[in-house]
Amino acid sequence: MPQPLNSKDAASFRQLVKLYEAKQHKKAVKTAEQILKKNPNHGDTLAMKALTLNAQGHTTEAFALAKTALQADMKSHICWHVYGLLYRSTKQLDEAIKAYKFALKLEPDSAQIQRDLAFLQIQMRDYAGYIESRKAMLQARPALRQNWTALAVAYHLSGDLESAEKHLKTYEDTLKTPPPRTDIEHSEAGLYRNSLLNEMGEAEKGLEHLETIYDANLDRTAVMEARAWYQLQLGQSEDAEKSYRDLVVRNNEYRPYYEGLEKAMGLDRSKSDDVAKLTELYKELLEGNDRLDAARRIPLDFLTGEQFKPAADQYLRKMLIKGVPSTFANIKALYSDPARLKTIQELVEAYTPETTAMNGDANQTNGDSKPSRLEESRLFFLAQHYNYPRSQNLEKALDYITKALEITPKSVDYNMTRARILKHKGDLAKASEIMNHARELDEKDRYINTKCAKYQLRNDENEKAIQTMSKFTRNETVGGPLGDLHDMQCMWFLTEDGEANFRQDKLSVALKRFKSIYDIFDVWQEDQFDFHHFSIRKGQIRAYVDMMHWEDRLREHPFYARAAINAIKIYVMLYDDPNLAHGNTNGVNLEGLNAADKKKALKKIKKEQERVAKEDADKRDAEKKASPPKKTGGDGEPKKEDPDPLGLTLIETKTPLDEAVKFLQPLLEFSPKTIAAQNWGFEVYVRRGKYLLALKCLIAAHSIDSQQAKLHEQLLRFSQTIHSLTEPLPPKVKQVLDANSNIIPEF
Amino acid sequence: MDIRLMKPSDIPHVQQANITNLPENYFCKYYLYHALTWPQLSYVAVDVSRPPKTPYDPPKIVGYVLAKMEEEPADFVPHGHITSLSVMRTHRRLGLAEKLMRQSQRAMAETYQAAYVSLHVRVSNVAALHLYRDTLGFKVDKVEAKYYADGEDAYSMRMDLTDMQLKDEKKKKPSKEEVDDEE
Amino acid sequence: SEEPALPTNAEDRKAAAALSSLDANAEEETGKDVDTEALGAAMKNLDVKEGKKAELAKVKVEAVDVTLLVEQLELTKFKATELLRQNDGDAVKAMSAYVTAAV
Repeated sequence: MPQPLNSKDAASFRQLVKLYEAKQHKKAVKTAEQILKKNPNHGDTLAMKALTLNAQGHTTEAFALAKTALQADMKSHICWHVYGLLYRSTKQLDEAIKAYKFALKLEPDSAQIQRDLAFLQIQMRDYAGYIESRKAMLQARPALRQNWTALAVAYHLSGDLESAEKHLKTYEDTLKTPPPRTDIEHSEAGLYRNSLLNEMGEAEKGLEHLETIYDANLDRTAVMEARAWYQLQLGQSEDAEKSYRDLVVRNNEYRPYYEGLEKAMGLDRSKSDDVAKLTELYKELLEGNDRLDAARRIPLDFLTGEQFKPAADQYLRKMLIKGVPSTFANIKALYSDPARLKTIQELVEAYTPETTAMNGDANQTNGDSKPSRLEESRLFFLAQHYNYPRSQNLEKALDYITKALEITPKSVDYNMTRARILKHKGDLAKASEIMNHARELDEKDRYINTKCAKYQLRNDENEKAIQTMSKFTRNETVGGPLGDLHDMQCMWFLTEDGEANFRQDKLSVALKRFKSIYDIFDVWQEDQFDFHHFSIRKGQIRAYVDMMHWEDRLREHPFYARAAINAIKIYVMLYDDPNLAHGNTNGVNLEGLNAADKKKALKKIKKEQERVAKEDADKRDAEKKASPPKKTGGDGEPKKEDPDPLGLTLIETKTPLDEAVKFLQPLLEFSPKTIAAQNWGFEVYVRRGKYLLALKCLIAAHSIDSQQAKLHEQLLRFSQTIHSLTEPLPPKVKQVLDANSNIIPEF
Repeated sequence: MDIRLMKPSDIPHVQQANITNLPENYFCKYYLYHALTWPQLSYVAVDVSRPPKTPYDPPKIVGYVLAKMEEEPADFVPHGHITSLSVMRTHRRLGLAEKLMRQSQRAMAETYQAAYVSLHVRVSNVAALHLYRDTLGFKVDKVEAKYYADGEDAYSMRMDLTDMQLKDEKKKKPSKEEVDDEE
Repeated sequence: SEEPALPTNAEDRKAAAALSSLDANAEEETGKDVDTEALGAAMKNLDVKEGKKAELAKVKVEAVDVTLLVEQLELTKFKATELLRQNDGDAVKAMSAYVTAAV
């Protein structure tokens, strides 16, 4: 039971809470200590002090103090709430939920605790718990529209669309007068309900509902798109055609509108009879619209043979005369068809200055006339064309780009392409050099700076790369350019730098980079938290639901898979050979040494590692003295220095496979179709003795590519392992193995 | 290229495009803040011509506009603001920047009743100045000294959007039923 | 001062302000012009069907099987129990289903 404070102390306590909320931590702690002088066992004050200490980074102390607070006052909802907040801040989310639930039992009317519990439940995707919480919140304040919407969202996310839509309809039906047109919450709620009807497959109901909100709704694009879609679904072809035409007028660079229009008109690209009508349609859409690209480019996707050639010719000439550098990028999708590839190649090769009548330069006979823009574009196009895998001829590519460079030697784009060609030839050093040359031609452009750094990393020039990046990073940040790149979540750099270090056997640094990427994904997952409250308040529900769906599959991002696979490789290597933790063994072969010599060799390696670490630390100190870093990061939070820049703590882990599993589980959950993920999953699980999980990886890999060489090797090893186990498997496990081993060779 | 609304799932790729092209960068959360507060305003240009290499290929973002409504507008006149705009060097001269801007501006006017849109541009950025002033019709409002982190000054520019705002319902065209009744 | 220093340029300051406004303990707005009577009546009619989840909860599951799945498949107790329930409480069936699930 909370002990009563005298009125002066009670006022101080209220002040303490305010100070904490205003992030005035030092003052808050002082105030708490004043109260505690006279009330040493006041649980609530102890709890608030603990909370403040935690905000200052003194986590261990905070937890200890919070426990003391609870012991002093077991029945205080504030103490339990604080305990929950502490658990939440250290990501012990199950414990946090338990604590909040205790607090809520003690103080069922606290909206704040209820909210904290609800948000944590949805953060953890505890749909059942979240629905219960939202029901309670609705009961408590049914007049607040947000509470209705939020409960609907809870049902929606849990997969119960019917209940979600029902709740929205129920609330809407109670509105006697519709809110003003500018009420964005109302506008969005209507669209949200409509999107649910669509998701439930209720096209008729959806269209009917849409017509009631159509005129007043503020999101014109959304209502127009929905209407066109419904009309198409319901076979109202004439109306659908008009709707899609209106959409194309609004945004003529969005292919789904064109596809919708084609469908509404009953046209099918694969039917040769329809091709003429389609061509007519696009001709019509282009009339008077010179800046349009999509309508000009789309026909190239469905025209073939004799009809394709003139259309391609017209398109290519237009783009090349204009000098559009992305012409090739725009065209190359067509190369999956060898016939079209050939046509395009022949066309462009034939665009010589003498034969093109479209540009006036054919009339110039003056010896020092500059080659036409068409000619230059043509050379650039062909250089890219012959650099591309399907049409590759690197010698020709080099030849063309050299010619282009003769015309405009300072072109950043041409130098970039030359570097790319050299990269494909395998000359990474030269490629890096040329890319740097390109960069020097436009030092204000970050794009070319980025490309240069990437090429330097591919050539294992890590120092140079960070120097290059430093021309655009905020170098006063703690940790310098690298620190800034971490802060700004620059994943591409961290990945490439990690891979470069891996190639050079600098395993600890490599591991550190991959762990940073893992941590960034954790941050991105955490980022959604504030929006559970924010979005419901703002009323932009569809965007919130989209965000939730994205977060559900966050680690599907290829950068996660890349970092995870790399990290897992290193951890498996460490498990197989723990000596690797001592850094680059410089080729010292530890096998076959006697114990004394081995000890000596390891000592030498460790000393070398320490020397490198000290050198690195000294360098950082010198850099800091030269330009003292800001004390805060980009988000205003106080920044701490990285205590382990070389990743030595990571690499010295005694449980590499446990660490590997942390990377592996999301990898298998979200990128299961990536065969490398399954391959490495096998390597981890077979070493952990989890034979069913290893089998699962084999079966999955087999379904992706049954001919994979690595898979065959793994199947054999699996068979050998199973047949030479020292202890028998649990009988149910053996049953599962026996039932599902058709792909495993008998040993 | 497709010009379409930015979705939350685009954010990592927009962030990458931004840090590839520009020195002014943002946390993922700031992009989320834009996408979840004003989801109608930010657009991306996507290269849809790339053949997919894996089942998990993300959309290839070659351009974007990150836009918002000013949270605390002066004189309480709602107006939009362009936080960031960029097109990949390899995809320039396709009019993408212009198209991205126009879609965003219309949404500002229609959905949020924006009277005008503002933005900042480096005084040395000739190409951007040409786009905003000459192609789109922005006017320089004032110079903000040392606006950028590296100390460079910025032009604060603005463009009127009142003709893109939604008209009063009374003035809209008669519906089909009304027309049929009259016949 | 102990407070985190504000970023030095206008852009960063704006971004920091926007982000910190996200977790502001904003007072809930009062309900708009609502028909509280109608809402009260509406609340009473909200009746959500129990659905499949309740049926699944009735499937009997042995603790020793849960432990086995937790160990062999590295699942949480919660997920292991759920998997068993979806497979009639049969451990071999559950593990087989898990191992052969399509990707």
